[in-house]
Amino acid sequence: MQKRFPLNKLFGYLFVLASTLIMVVPFLTTVFNSLKTYKQYMQFPPEWLPDPVKWSNYSQVWEQANFSSYTVNSVIVAVLSVVGTLLSSSMIAFAFARLKFPFRDTLFMIVLGTMMIPGIVTIIPQFIIFKNLGMLDSLTPLWILEWLGQPFAIFLMRQAFLSIPKDYEEAAKLDGCNPFQIYWRVFLPMCKPALATLAVFTFMGKWNEILAPVIYLLSEEHFTLPIGILSLRGQYKTDDQLLVAGALISLIPILIVFLFAEKYFVEGSKTSGLK
Amino acid sequence: MLEIPNKLQAQPDVKKKRKWLDSEGRWGLLLVSPYLIHFLVFVVGTSLASLYFSFSDYDILNPPKWTGLDNYEKLFADPLFYQALWNTVYFTLLYVPAKTFLALLLAVALNQKLKGLKLFRMAHFLPVISSWTVIAYVADAVFNQRIGFANAILAHFGIAPQSWLIDEVWVIPVLVLIAIWKSVGYMMIIFLAGLQGISNDMYEAASIDGANAWQKFWRVTVPMISGTTFLVIILNTIYSFQNFEQIFVMTGGSTEAGSTGGANNASLVLMLLMFRQGFSFYKMGYASAIAWVLFLILLAITLVQFKLQKKWVHYD
Repeated sequence: MQKRFPLNKLFGYLFVLASTLIMVVPFLTTVFNSLKTYKQYMQFPPEWLPDPVKWSNYSQVWEQANFSSYTVNSVIVAVLSVVGTLLSSSMIAFAFARLKFPFRDTLFMIVLGTMMIPGIVTIIPQFIIFKNLGMLDSLTPLWILEWLGQPFAIFLMRQAFLSIPKDYEEAAKLDGCNPFQIYWRVFLPMCKPALATLAVFTFMGKWNEILAPVIYLLSEEHFTLPIGILSLRGQYKTDDQLLVAGALISLIPILIVFLFAEKYFVEGSKTSGLK
Repeated sequence: MLEIPNKLQAQPDVKKKRKWLDSEGRWGLLLVSPYLIHFLVFVVGTSLASLYFSFSDYDILNPPKWTGLDNYEKLFADPLFYQALWNTVYFTLLYVPAKTFLALLLAVALNQKLKGLKLFRMAHFLPVISSWTVIAYVADAVFNQRIGFANAILAHFGIAPQSWLIDEVWVIPVLVLIAIWKSVGYMMIIFLAGLQGISNDMYEAASIDGANAWQKFWRVTVPMISGTTFLVIILNTIYSFQNFEQIFVMTGGSTEAGSTGGANNASLVLMLLMFRQGFSFYKMGYASAIAWVLFLILLAITLVQFKLQKKWVHYD
């Protein structure tokens, strides 16, 4: 075994290295494409490196399209979703983890069940509800439900709350805290890693969402980044490399979050395998 | 309904004499009330509404008119439905096994405490954090029939250029390839977490019995990780059947409804068919019927998978 082990490791390395290249090279090519002139972009066979390097593609696409408006809309949806999820799901999860109330376990099974049940059948009626509420062509339907608790988020926060020793709860009770105060002052501050995991996951999901914005948003001024960029496709037929730059601009915020909070992305992925 | 293994159970009720709804019970119900509203209105309510719509003629402007089984009869007589169903199944059959196997292999390779693990992991997460809009341009760099480097590589070997995503034959395999590429890193993390739960003793025992790396993989790793594998298969099957965003973005061409589905509907899947009927033609009744058929197919597949798991999933 002592002799064989390094060989396994070598194969492992080669495999992972090859896979890493497959992951990264297309992205690098895309970055290079975004810096090309139109002529070079359209050239076949393609040249890998841009020559000359046209940094101005980025400023040009930002100015030509409503990029600042798309960005503001995306930020509004993502931030309101994150705040709503953190507040509502943690509160609901606290009750499931720490309080005894009628039908608690049945209700929690329902939470788990809805996590497994596909959401397809609810798309159309939800659209009609929001339409009747006059929320069509507004950002509201894209974040409002996050304020009523999301199954995965409830599950994740409940796991975190369950791991806290009972002593804290009892000490707070002796100090005269009611359950909400125990949740807010004692438990919530102790679950910052879980909250961070939830925040990055919600942000990622909302930042990248396409189906709901396509259904709910009609006028361009309300478009979020992913569908704003898609809507440009027809308009700039001659300057495709600008659209590549535009798409990459939309990647920057989530990339920054990822670089600083990578471990929370990993934690969240692991949790989604726990259920 | 579905039996979900849940290791961390909340403390069981202490059997004391207590009022049915004491102060703690009231607080509990109060704190979960947002989810109760969510569940009753936006899950139960909407599902019932959707069921009703599926038996009605409904164009949004006028109230739904009960038409019985009309929508379902039309659906089962519609060749497009069968095409979309086949495309969905075809996508899933290619996607789920290949992705599960690759994710497991990657996790096993990464689990050997390789140096630079964090960097490798991050590289595999890059597509995971990207929106399908970004991925569409990344995929374009490779598979665009005019400027992509896939055709440049083929040309190097004297093979004629292919039109990939706008080719009827290629479109689904290429979509599957891209879909696997986008999210294999995510599944790899789930497997990695599972692998870390396998005790080293198992591998040592296998080594003493003279097993080589390949045998250890098939005889120890695969059975021991089967619980995770099962979960990954379930998650991916559900995802694959509801795949919308990728196909909408990559074979749609614009946000304009109705223009999706690729050349000759070669990439029309059930979700796109539903979207087209509902949000392009405003046939909400017909679209709801599609949603229910899709839902029931998915439910049946999931239940079968849960039944079959007893035959191959290994629990301690």
